[in-house]
Amino acid sequence: MGQTETFYYDNKIVRNFGVATALWGAVGLTVGLIVALQLIWPQLNFSLPYTTFGRIRPLHTNAAIFAFVGNGIFMGVYYSLQRLLKARMFSDTLSAIHFWGWQLIIVAAAVTLPLGITSSHEYAELEWPIDIAIALVWVVFGINMFGTILKRRENHLYVAIWFYIATWVTVTMLHIFNNLEIPVHFMKSIPVFAGVQDALVQWWYGHNAVAFFLTTPYLGLMYYFMPKAANRPVYSYKLSIIHFWALIFIYIWAGPHHLLYTSLPGWAQALGTTFSLMLIAPSWGGMLNGLLTLRGAWDKVRQDPVLKFMVVAVTAYGMSTLEGPIMSIKSVNAISHYTDWTIAHVHIGTLGWNGMLTFGILYWLWPRLYNTGLYSQKLANTHFWLGTLGILFYAIPIYWAGWTQSMMWKLFGPDGILVYTNFLETVTQILPMYRLRALGGTIYVVGVFIMIYNLIKTAKAGSLVENVEASSGPREVHTSTKGEYWHKWIEKRPVQMLVAAAVLVAIGGLIEIFPVMLIDNNVPKISSVKPYTPLELEGRDIYIREGCVGCHSQMIRPFRSETERYGEYSKSGEFVYDRPFLWGSKRTGPDLHRVGDKYPNSWHYNHMIDPTTMSPGSIMPPYPWLKDDEINTKYTAAKIKVLQSLNTPYPNGYADRAVEDLKAQALGIAEDLKKNGVEKEGLENKEIVALIAYLQRLGTDIKPKQSVGLQ
Amino acid sequence: MYKYILQSAGNINWMAIFALLTFLFIFITAVVLAFTKRKEELRHYASLPLEDGIKE
Ligand code: HEC
Repeated sequence: MGQTETFYYDNKIVRNFGVATALWGAVGLTVGLIVALQLIWPQLNFSLPYTTFGRIRPLHTNAAIFAFVGNGIFMGVYYSLQRLLKARMFSDTLSAIHFWGWQLIIVAAAVTLPLGITSSHEYAELEWPIDIAIALVWVVFGINMFGTILKRRENHLYVAIWFYIATWVTVTMLHIFNNLEIPVHFMKSIPVFAGVQDALVQWWYGHNAVAFFLTTPYLGLMYYFMPKAANRPVYSYKLSIIHFWALIFIYIWAGPHHLLYTSLPGWAQALGTTFSLMLIAPSWGGMLNGLLTLRGAWDKVRQDPVLKFMVVAVTAYGMSTLEGPIMSIKSVNAISHYTDWTIAHVHIGTLGWNGMLTFGILYWLWPRLYNTGLYSQKLANTHFWLGTLGILFYAIPIYWAGWTQSMMWKLFGPDGILVYTNFLETVTQILPMYRLRALGGTIYVVGVFIMIYNLIKTAKAGSLVENVEASSGPREVHTSTKGEYWHKWIEKRPVQMLVAAAVLVAIGGLIEIFPVMLIDNNVPKISSVKPYTPLELEGRDIYIREGCVGCHSQMIRPFRSETERYGEYSKSGEFVYDRPFLWGSKRTGPDLHRVGDKYPNSWHYNHMIDPTTMSPGSIMPPYPWLKDDEINTKYTAAKIKVLQSLNTPYPNGYADRAVEDLKAQALGIAEDLKKNGVEKEGLENKEIVALIAYLQRLGTDIKPKQSVGLQ
Repeated sequence: MYKYILQSAGNINWMAIFALLTFLFIFITAVVLAFTKRKEELRHYASLPLEDGIKE
């Protein structure tokens, strides 16, 4: 046997990520609360560009996913990886670069999103320079992790580490594919995929971001911290092996379930549904494995807040992994999609699974990092109840709201016409539920602030043990007499694991992506569908900037309830020039795909500046700045050129004439507005005109009457 | 040939069968992997979180 070696675990980096987790958690949840309140009191949009719902909502989702859960992952990985491998992190410098790099990215997100800088891909909104920074920091994390794995003193890689490896590999792949875009300038890019293809890649990403950012790393944490906190090994290690392989394989295929009843080809939708249903098996296997770890320790659970948090977390995991597949069944999806049901579903996942597990880990970790007891068990218990109640008060009303919405959207009277023809009625109906939801959110956030107080007090009572002394024999294989063999052996296993995981997710990924590339041929071309005019293009970019996609879909499903309300259902061929696609995922407002030619220009003008003038009681935010800010034509030509390079059929040399055309079209709309009583100087240069041009174009290409499309 | 593959990519049968076969392969491998491990080995693996080499 080799000699015992002494080494030190790095606790400081764990503490840093822990502080960031708690802090960004508070920020992300508070912003979430604000957006929830904006839906009840639109005045809270403050009529300021930077604080409107459309821009703040992605801030909330990004903060919750990448700042709160992201830092939570790193906190847990840095703590458990070192101890499971009996080695300090590979490089303290890389740890520090990883930490500060990630926080800088979060700050960059917090600045750019309110500024309206967004790619509009959900949960991938950040623009290309930040995407590159994310890739770099992620690679630093990867090197640090694999470096540690290679210098480990423990032969076997515990199952938690498999989950970490799969996470790393898959997130790398997803991030790259979903952010293939061509820069127009420093803060604006155009995605290489258009329409249906863009949608498929985005939801392949969106789904797997949930799978491989919010789920697999947290399963790793569950497999480490639950046994730790209960002080007993996991219920079945065999089950955990099967859980791992089945889960990562199946997960990657299920993405298309986000696009049921859309213009996506039927076979892709069917594949998504099938694999989603199969997902129940490994997910529940994992949940049971977690819960059964506590068998015979339930008396402990009653006393220890840490275990209580974990039990609720794992239960929430089970609930949402059952609900998700059910929502992937087409007939259920027909009801749930675009409604707040989806919002309820994701919050069971984030507040329940991610949130409660994170809190449990923080309460367990803090006394150990600071070598003291938890400041107050009582406050931790209070937090536990607030958290649990908060989730219930959040979820139940919002499920109710989603269900109500769906029923009202689809309700036909005996005369065969829609009962609620005015969409707004279906919004005002659920406002009481929105109030209760905000109450639930408040309760949950209060709990988080109590936790922060408790953790600060705990830290003050003790002192940080920056480096923890540990000892272990070197890796057993080291002493092998087979000469150099051990050396290869060290590197072989984790690399095999990396490759196996990569191959697995790549198979699923390619199978899904491969047809996407070919969809181009499968999308029936519609000859009347023409590229956007330069003015409409600028208007579309304003639509993207303001995050209208956060409340409005542009995808009419082939149901009578939808075609009656909105008009002809959406065809895949209509989106071939949509870069990025703007189908949306939620209808807080009505679908806009056929809004073109529905209202006069002046209606839109008044509605955008103050929606309540046209729709009393509307909760849509006002956009008064659009009538004052000038259209930025500086990059119009550049945008046309990038689009041309992606095969959008503008005539040769069109970029040079684009601004001229833009001005001519704007003048037309400005004159029409003037004729209809809008009094304002220099209207033809204002952003509102571009936005109106875009809205009036929407969905009109396949209507009999041809609108101002490019000739 | 190439063209043929491209065309059949839109065909659910091909996709579904391929997906099912690879899944079965992975699943069976994982089960075999799990059940061929020796008992002591599994016990050692499972107890890894509880042994971090820290001197008390
Ligand atoms: C907070 C959610 C929300 C956001 C963000 C939002 N809207 Fe709305 N929108 C609504 C609601 C609710 C309605 C229905 C009531 C009404 O007419 O105002 C609506 C209605 C509309 C309508 C009328 C549709 C019709 O068929 O009657 C248009 C057009 C519209 N919105 C455009 C926009 C644009 C453009 C943006 C972005 C600049 C935007 N909306 C942002 C919620 C929102």
